Amino acid sequence: MTTPQSSPRTPLVEVTSMAKRFGDHEVIKDVSFEVGKGTVTVVIGPSGSGKTTLLRGLNALELPDSGAVRIGDVDVDFGQIHPGRGGRLAKPDRELVRRYRAQSGMVFQSHNLFPHRTALQNVTEGPIVVQHRPAAEADDQARKLLEKVGLTGHVDKYPYQLSGGQQQRVGIARALALEPELLLLDEPTSALDPELVGGVLAVIRALAQEGRTMVIVTHEIRFARQVADQVLFIDEGLVVERGTPEQVLEHPTKERTRTFLQRLLEA
Amino acid sequence: MAVFAVLLALAGPAGVARAAAPQPAHPAPAAAVPKVLRVGTEGVYPPFSYHDGNGNFTGYDVELIQQIGKRLGVQVQLVQTPFDSMFAALESGRIDLVANEISPTPERKAKYDLSAPYISTTGVVVVASGNKDITSLADIKGKRAGQSLTSNWSQVAKKAGATIVPIQDMDKAMTALAQNRVQVVVNDELAVRNYLNTTGNKQVKIVSTTSDKTDSVFAARKGSGYMPQINAQIAAMRSDGALQQLYDKYFGTKAQQQEKQAGNRSSWQIVRDNLWPMLLATLRTTIPLTAISFVLGLAIALLIALMRRSTIAIVSWLARAYISIIRGTPLLVQLFIVFYGLPQLGLKFSPFGAAILALSLNVGGYAAEVIRSAIAAVPQGQWEAAETIGMDYRTTLRRVVLPQAARIAVPPLGNTLVSLVKDTSLTSVILVADLFQKAQNAAAPTFEYMGLYTAAAAYYWVICFVLNALQGRLEKRLNRYVVR
Ligand SMILES: Nc1ncnc2c1ncn2[C@@H]1O[C@H](COP(=O)(O)OP(=O)(O)OP(=O)(O)O)[C@@H](O)[C@H]1O
Ligand SMILES: [Mg+2]
Repeated sequence: MTTPQSSPRTPLVEVTSMAKRFGDHEVIKDVSFEVGKGTVTVVIGPSGSGKTTLLRGLNALELPDSGAVRIGDVDVDFGQIHPGRGGRLAKPDRELVRRYRAQSGMVFQSHNLFPHRTALQNVTEGPIVVQHRPAAEADDQARKLLEKVGLTGHVDKYPYQLSGGQQQRVGIARALALEPELLLLDEPTSALDPELVGGVLAVIRALAQEGRTMVIVTHEIRFARQVADQVLFIDEGLVVERGTPEQVLEHPTKERTRTFLQRLLEA
Repeated sequence: MAVFAVLLALAGPAGVARAAAPQPAHPAPAAAVPKVLRVGTEGVYPPFSYHDGNGNFTGYDVELIQQIGKRLGVQVQLVQTPFDSMFAALESGRIDLVANEISPTPERKAKYDLSAPYISTTGVVVVASGNKDITSLADIKGKRAGQSLTSNWSQVAKKAGATIVPIQDMDKAMTALAQNRVQVVVNDELAVRNYLNTTGNKQVKIVSTTSDKTDSVFAARKGSGYMPQINAQIAAMRSDGALQQLYDKYFGTKAQQQEKQAGNRSSWQIVRDNLWPMLLATLRTTIPLTAISFVLGLAIALLIALMRRSTIAIVSWLARAYISIIRGTPLLVQLFIVFYGLPQLGLKFSPFGAAILALSLNVGGYAAEVIRSAIAAVPQGQWEAAETIGMDYRTTLRRVVLPQAARIAVPPLGNTLVSLVKDTSLTSVILVADLFQKAQNAAAPTFEYMGLYTAAAAYYWVICFVLNALQGRLEKRLNRYVVR
């Protein structure tokens, strides 16, 4: 997608003062950051700090209560968008949120593949059903994507016939099939057996080298060091530290970041 | 509810029609007999109203009203109606006239237009052959009497001090008598003699007659205005001998000989002769009734299940109330409300239409919970995965959630379908000519209960067996993507 107002200098993603609460619980308090086009941002932080909620906010699976997010040429001020009765949005808002969501692709921790569709069908579902692309074209593209994530020869298998790592790679291909500007990955390897982690990380690494813009939540510090252009450390709904992997992972300035990294290394 | 309106529109070839206009309080002026005179009659009460070997209506009352119709130049359309819902059918405007050995009680005189008597008979006291206690009406005090609740003979037995055991048809009452489930049956002399002659049943006997003679009359809605013309024809038939001829045909000794011959067919022959008509009724009525009601029922169930999941309180409350009402009331009562009750609100359906409406509303209530819990069993992650690739609610349901819910729902829905097949047998009470009604019609004049009802049971079983096999294949298909 070409974005008229974006030059190489303007970031692809701009998050300004995002906030989200569940009842009395302020899960995201005030989060702002930018993601440059073609860069990888790794989000780390303790359990319950709001990482998943932040990622879901970027894909509108959860609507932030306030703050603004721009992804590419879609700019949403969540302070202006409020679901009505029965959780439904007004029609123009719905259309805006639909365009906003289409900017990013989501890879879930537990992959959430459609069990009643083959690997190929999982990947073509969005292009054919949502984007109404010709089936033959979507098929071609899906085969290429599955090849890219190392699943040639598994295209006609159902998810239950694949290993956890292979399932997660189908999940990545499914997200890529819609050609989003931004790829969001929420702990893509944490549900996997250790021997399956490497394959998935290799795929993500290859995507980074291709210049995919990604936001990844992960506890794999070594991997973060390798692929990240930027690291965000989040705690209690706030960005505690933000910088290059060098700055945040090697020379953290905040006490909280240090304790967190310490604990992660001990584990 | 849009679906409800559509159902109403779909229900029955007759569709929705206005019920009969309210009746005037004062006696109406003489009115013409309807061009098509719909006559309610039991069809299982030989020799007055029953079905011959070809499945056509016949009997004394049937032939009499047919002759009267011919003389009046109107078309008589016979509507088979169980005796206990006969007057409900009359009042709700489903029939115009009752020809079923109605006796003119004071209550009926007050509520209906009654014709002049066309036959008189007396009651008889019938007991099991071995019974020596009961020799007259006076002896039945404190005994159990098998009677149709709405029939006049039930009043006679009650007045004599018997405890009434409700048994709808006279012939079922006789069987109960032979099996000693009741000790006495008080019924029409002619009907009883006909029964004894045709069956050769030696297990029951007549011990005495009641003192009073009872007349039989036709009944129409109050203020119908056409009874004088029917009375005129009864009088004409009496004077030109047609009435006597008809009497001889059914109650003369010759008639009894003929009936006897018919009654001499072996059980196997009777069953065999009825296998084809019963199969036809299965193919024409029972199976279409099941199929249509199930499909419409599933549509209602899906709608109710989705309403039940709604975050809007009133919507989910309505769905909950619907499910609770459907599951908390007997299907038989639902059938009666739709068929006899709704006409009073101006909504009138053909028997088939009413059966489809009631059965699909019923299936809707039962299947809604099944579908709701099947949808709830699909992991939340599936909804989110669909949402994140941009699917809307309806597409998500259709392509992601329902295919997975189906796998969970098929086994319990299979049970619902099998119950529905069996429940269609209840629709004979709202005049649907289904498999079971055919079996009843054939059993009434021949008394071949065991053979005919067993044959009916076999048909139901075959349908359910086939459905079970199909269900197994469907389950296998839906399970192909699950770890085995
Ligand atoms: N839909 C929700 N309703 C109520 N509370 C929620 C909801 N989603 C998340 N929370 C709460 O918000 C907090 C942050 O959740 P989140 O999943 O964003 O944390 P996380 O940083 O991803 O943690 P983890 O590392 O364990 O995945 C948690 O306390 C969680 O219980
Ligand atoms: Mg999380």
